[in-house]
Amino acid sequence: MSNIPFRSDELVNELVQFNQNLSKGVKNLLETEEITSGVTPREEVYAEDKLKLYRYQPSTGVVQGKTPLLIVYALVNRPYMTDIQENRSTIRSLLDHGQDVYLIDWGYPDRADKYLTLDDYINGYIDRCVDVIRERHGVKKVNILGICQGGVFSLCYSTLHQDKVRNLVTMVTPVDCKTPDNMLSHWVQQMDIDAIVDAMGNLPGEMLNWTFLNLKPFQLMGQKYVSMVDIISDEKNVKNFMRMEKWIFDSPDQAGEAFRQFIKDFFQQNKLVEGGLEIGGHAVDLKNLKVPVLNIYAEQDHLVPPDASRALKKLVGSKDYTELSFPGGHIGIYVSGKAQKTVPPAIADWLKKRS
Amino acid sequence: MSDSKSWTDQWFKAQQQFVDAWSDMARAGDARRQVPQTELWSDGFEAWRKAVGGESRPDVREALEKCFDMGREYFSMAERIGRNLADGKEPRAAIHQWMEQLKQGLQQWSNLSGFDSVATGDFMKQWFAPSKAWQQMASQMAPMQQALWQLPGMNTSVFNLGEAIDPLGRILEAPGIGYFREPQEKQQRGVQLALEYHEANIKFNQAFLRIAIESIEGFQQRLLQIDSEAMPKTLRELYDLWVEVSETHYAEFAMSEEYQALYGDMVNRLMVLKKHYHDIIDDQLRLMNMPNSREVDTMQQRIQQLRRDNIAMKKELAEIRALLGKRGAAKAAKPAARSAPAPKSAAEPAPAATANAGAPAVKRAVAKKAAAKKAATKKPAAAKTKSAATRSKTGA
Repeated sequence: MSNIPFRSDELVNELVQFNQNLSKGVKNLLETEEITSGVTPREEVYAEDKLKLYRYQPSTGVVQGKTPLLIVYALVNRPYMTDIQENRSTIRSLLDHGQDVYLIDWGYPDRADKYLTLDDYINGYIDRCVDVIRERHGVKKVNILGICQGGVFSLCYSTLHQDKVRNLVTMVTPVDCKTPDNMLSHWVQQMDIDAIVDAMGNLPGEMLNWTFLNLKPFQLMGQKYVSMVDIISDEKNVKNFMRMEKWIFDSPDQAGEAFRQFIKDFFQQNKLVEGGLEIGGHAVDLKNLKVPVLNIYAEQDHLVPPDASRALKKLVGSKDYTELSFPGGHIGIYVSGKAQKTVPPAIADWLKKRS
Repeated sequence: MSDSKSWTDQWFKAQQQFVDAWSDMARAGDARRQVPQTELWSDGFEAWRKAVGGESRPDVREALEKCFDMGREYFSMAERIGRNLADGKEPRAAIHQWMEQLKQGLQQWSNLSGFDSVATGDFMKQWFAPSKAWQQMASQMAPMQQALWQLPGMNTSVFNLGEAIDPLGRILEAPGIGYFREPQEKQQRGVQLALEYHEANIKFNQAFLRIAIESIEGFQQRLLQIDSEAMPKTLRELYDLWVEVSETHYAEFAMSEEYQALYGDMVNRLMVLKKHYHDIIDDQLRLMNMPNSREVDTMQQRIQQLRRDNIAMKKELAEIRALLGKRGAAKAAKPAARSAPAPKSAAEPAPAATANAGAPAVKRAVAKKAAAKKAATKKPAAAKTKSAATRSKTGA
């Protein structure tokens, strides 16, 4: 065994430094202003139940494409991840690259939404939002960008409503939910989803938080806060840290029936791969999906492993299929500086060539 | 490594700085607060936590709590290693001894009555963050099972079922008699389900305890195998390596069949328990002539279906109106069209109205074909029924 080069004086200095950073950081933390969510100006153009459809204001002087882009976010967590801060906004970057951006905000489902099904979400809410956009712009088709679970919804929607979709972009989207490295999927295989939904009604956001944090508990519940001490003496860092904290713990409950179907059909029975998926009585077979597809995945994604996303290539019927790999994680693909420089421009470029 | 006296001096000096820094801050924040000065840094965190975090915003307080929690663990790690170094041990031996201390500590955990009773600053507490968080969440979801464990004579260990069966056994064995037989049996069933959940929870925790001990051995192995270049040179590097090794051990466990079965069983049993008490409460509400969750569910289901039907009808109405409008426009345009035909592009249909477009394209095509076929065989009524069935299937 090699010697561990510890020295007592260095150990003490390290602790003193840690302590100094922490005490400065606490002051910054206490003085942090309330964190607001979403930074880019937007207007609400349609609302239904708890859903709101927003259109984002374009940057001045940017010529926008004729085909609007609808972002379909997951039901899990909140969509302001895509617009989290001024210099870290996928939406802002898409606007700057000429996209006319709309986003569905699903809101916070409560007990009154317990019986919403995947059919209600996909053939109902999404379809009506698409129609609103088509009517506003006088176009037959829109572009869709689906994120994570929203990507799954977008795949189903685009397969069933191809007459309304010009191009489809999927980001960190689980398609094959039974890859050997999928921890989330592994955990739910022996769970009685009917018992959960029957007992809980809606699935509480706290339960989802518990699940996500336990994918990497030592990093996400421990190391993150030790490392935070290194950076919190800077006010800006504190604000950014608090923004991420707010987002991480901002987990809406999941409408019971939709959750039941999503976990059973996608995670337990892997129907996008194995076949047999039906949404509202309509068969969904990705072989029938013929619109151009851009599939973006993150190489270090601990929630949706790259193979889970890459499986789309073999399943989709489109002849125009492109893959884009991002060297980062599930969240980094929206908020990292590297992602800002590469991902939205690549999406915009791909769409421009096809719109 | 320097001698023991020099270490003690440095340690004392550094602690003094710690106390001074935080006292200054506490005074700046609120001069009225008296902050007790403690000897240990890790214990001191408790005092500073109360001094500076008490009146902050909830999100800030939460972040502060986590920073303090982790800061305390981090300091406790330094203290343990530091003390071992102060005893004159080489760094390698000091860390080895620290790990042995952690292992010994864990072995005594099996009789703990709860995760909160773990000694403050026990570094290995981090291994049980998932179990502790689960227990907190479960007690909010099913408070009745938590109450059961407060009964006198119950063993409340989180790792060992022990004597819990005995007092519960007496409750479970009591025969149900007379008018209250049925509710009594339901309560007995509830106790049985609570016991089953508790057992599943304990098995889950026991597995964590085993993996935590294994992870320490894994960490020791890792330090033996690591080359001198990659050897941790600072406390932070040592901590980061510990996180890495622990995360690897945890991930292997979390991806195992064992974890899947234990976790699934624990979740399922909690849900069955929760549903059972839910049903008991529903029965009570029914007897009191108050709305219960079963009735609310029925109403919600009906409302949801009504909303779907309403949307479908609105959409159908919009389509009929659009069709009528087109026909009217076509009639009005006919004489003009004779003199000046419209360009082909103008005849293209406009996008659908705002109301839900209803059946997906694939289905609509099928429905159109079916309708055309039936029309051809002169069965318009049947075609209409098929179309209506398709529409209602869209659920929107």
